[in-house]
Amino acid sequence: MNGRIVDDGNTVSLSGRFTVRDLKRVTRALGTGATQSTIVDFSNCQSMDTSIAVRIWSIIEAAEASGRVFKLTGMNSDTQQIFDRFKVIDDWPAPPVEDHTLLYNFEDIGDKVLATWRTVYGLAVFAGKAFKALFSGKFRGSITAYYMEQSGVMAIPIIITLNWLMGVVLGYQAGYQMSQFGGELFMPALLAYSICWDIAPMMTAVLVAGRSGSAFAAEIGTMKVRQEIDALEVMGFNIYGFIVTPKMIALFAVMPLLITAANFAGMAGGLAAGGMFLKMPAVVYIAEVKKAIIPFDLYWGVIKGFFYSTIISITGSYMGMRVRGGPASVGRATTSAVVVSIFLVILVDALLSLLFIHIRPGLTL
Amino acid sequence: MISFSFLGIEKSYSDPSGKKLRVLGPVDLTVESGQFLCLLGPTGCGKTTLLRILSRLESADSGKIAMGSGNLGYVFQQGALFPWMTVESNVMFPLKAKGVKPGLCRSRAGEMLRKVGLYEFRRSFPHELSGGMQQRTALARGLVTEPDILLLDEPFASLDTRTGINLQEMLRKLCRSLSTTVVFVTHNIEEAVYMADRIVVMGHRPGRIVRDEILSLEWPRDRLSSDFTGVLLSFRQTFEELVDQ
Repeated sequence: MNGRIVDDGNTVSLSGRFTVRDLKRVTRALGTGATQSTIVDFSNCQSMDTSIAVRIWSIIEAAEASGRVFKLTGMNSDTQQIFDRFKVIDDWPAPPVEDHTLLYNFEDIGDKVLATWRTVYGLAVFAGKAFKALFSGKFRGSITAYYMEQSGVMAIPIIITLNWLMGVVLGYQAGYQMSQFGGELFMPALLAYSICWDIAPMMTAVLVAGRSGSAFAAEIGTMKVRQEIDALEVMGFNIYGFIVTPKMIALFAVMPLLITAANFAGMAGGLAAGGMFLKMPAVVYIAEVKKAIIPFDLYWGVIKGFFYSTIISITGSYMGMRVRGGPASVGRATTSAVVVSIFLVILVDALLSLLFIHIRPGLTL
Repeated sequence: MISFSFLGIEKSYSDPSGKKLRVLGPVDLTVESGQFLCLLGPTGCGKTTLLRILSRLESADSGKIAMGSGNLGYVFQQGALFPWMTVESNVMFPLKAKGVKPGLCRSRAGEMLRKVGLYEFRRSFPHELSGGMQQRTALARGLVTEPDILLLDEPFASLDTRTGINLQEMLRKLCRSLSTTVVFVTHNIEEAVYMADRIVVMGHRPGRIVRDEILSLEWPRDRLSSDFTGVLLSFRQTFEELVDQ
């Protein structure tokens, strides 16, 4: 039997089965009550679907807000249960309203500072544990060799190409500026200093952070998601010794070599720029470079390499270890690993440059 | 003999606003050696957390754990096999970690792989195996050190029903033969009633024990018997009450 509605002015009686098709009739019957108090009688109502119940509930709520009173009588247990659930939902606490006052903005800044501090602290603790494992753990030759190949050998083409191009660009730009007042002969020295002191180590570090730091974070993050790290821990492995130190050792081994290769590639770029744009003979370029740089300039890149290796391997591994939940967090960890690594590389580079001007023989400012 | 005991174990996590949220406890539980215990409960009630605390993967905020031996095996929900290793190497790995000689590692791994019916696949890599075979490998890896306590975190949840039933039978037999104490986390009531000597039902917010019962069902268990379905329905009712809450 379809739903029937009888309205005698004070009482609205619902009988039969009410479905979404009766929505308009129910709305009309309940929504236009002339009296202040209305009784809704469900005694003969066999069933109603949720759309009707929701409509009745919302009409009652709106009407009661304006002073009308509804009394619901004769509900069977099913209908009663639906309305009881609505009552529970009504009692739920309202969601917190976002506060966009000045205080909120300060809180937001505070939260971010706190989160950054937690990351820095976590990174420091992680580095401590990794170094402890490095000096006390077992050396894993085959896995270290694998990372040396991945992070070192495979990176050679891109590092040499990009540093050579940097050498060409810098050589050309420096040569052009200097030729304005006849100082082209100083280009090789300027270029060699820039390349060896900063450009080659930094470019190499940025490239290795992009290639290997992200790979470390993704690899460890995936292991974390797949519970492989937990499995290793349960078996009694020191995960720092097993997961982190082979990556550290591999980068310690390859980074100085990559930076040295980048130094020579950059200076070779300068040689090409000198020949192409300044018509400078190769012997002159090489002689000028030899006059300018000392072995310390090349060693400096190697020293920087150890710092950068530590930063990239620790940051990549730490971000991977921080992964919680599903694959989406692996992507976030990878991005964080690259961003934080590059930031720290530049920060440490700036600090080392301050030290450099005090310790390089023959450098006076 | 007691295998392990929890006394007043509690665990809280911080929500994004920094507020502490107690997710577990206090939990008191004592498990006898050789007992097959199923931790049953709805998602989020702290079953896995309890397992991770027992395995020292996480630490409790308060309470004590008393354990006879630290020799644990753990079987994870997704197997957690190492993808770069063969089946045999995966199973040998926990033995290597304990410093067992390579020759002995291989023979014990081979023996365990025979028990789980995967000896012919010992040179395969995990990705070459079906889900059921991967879980059998994980089971072999968990049991190869003959642990005093084997912890299993919903290991058969992602398998089809038939494979799951086969593995339940295999697990039960293997653990019986090795007299291993088992803590098996599941939200599958039938799985728990079929395998367990004892079922502990956990409720949530915070995770706590709401029912602890030693099953009197005889072995072998018949899933269609009236006794079995009676116990099943009783636990289902408890479970539904918890979910409704």
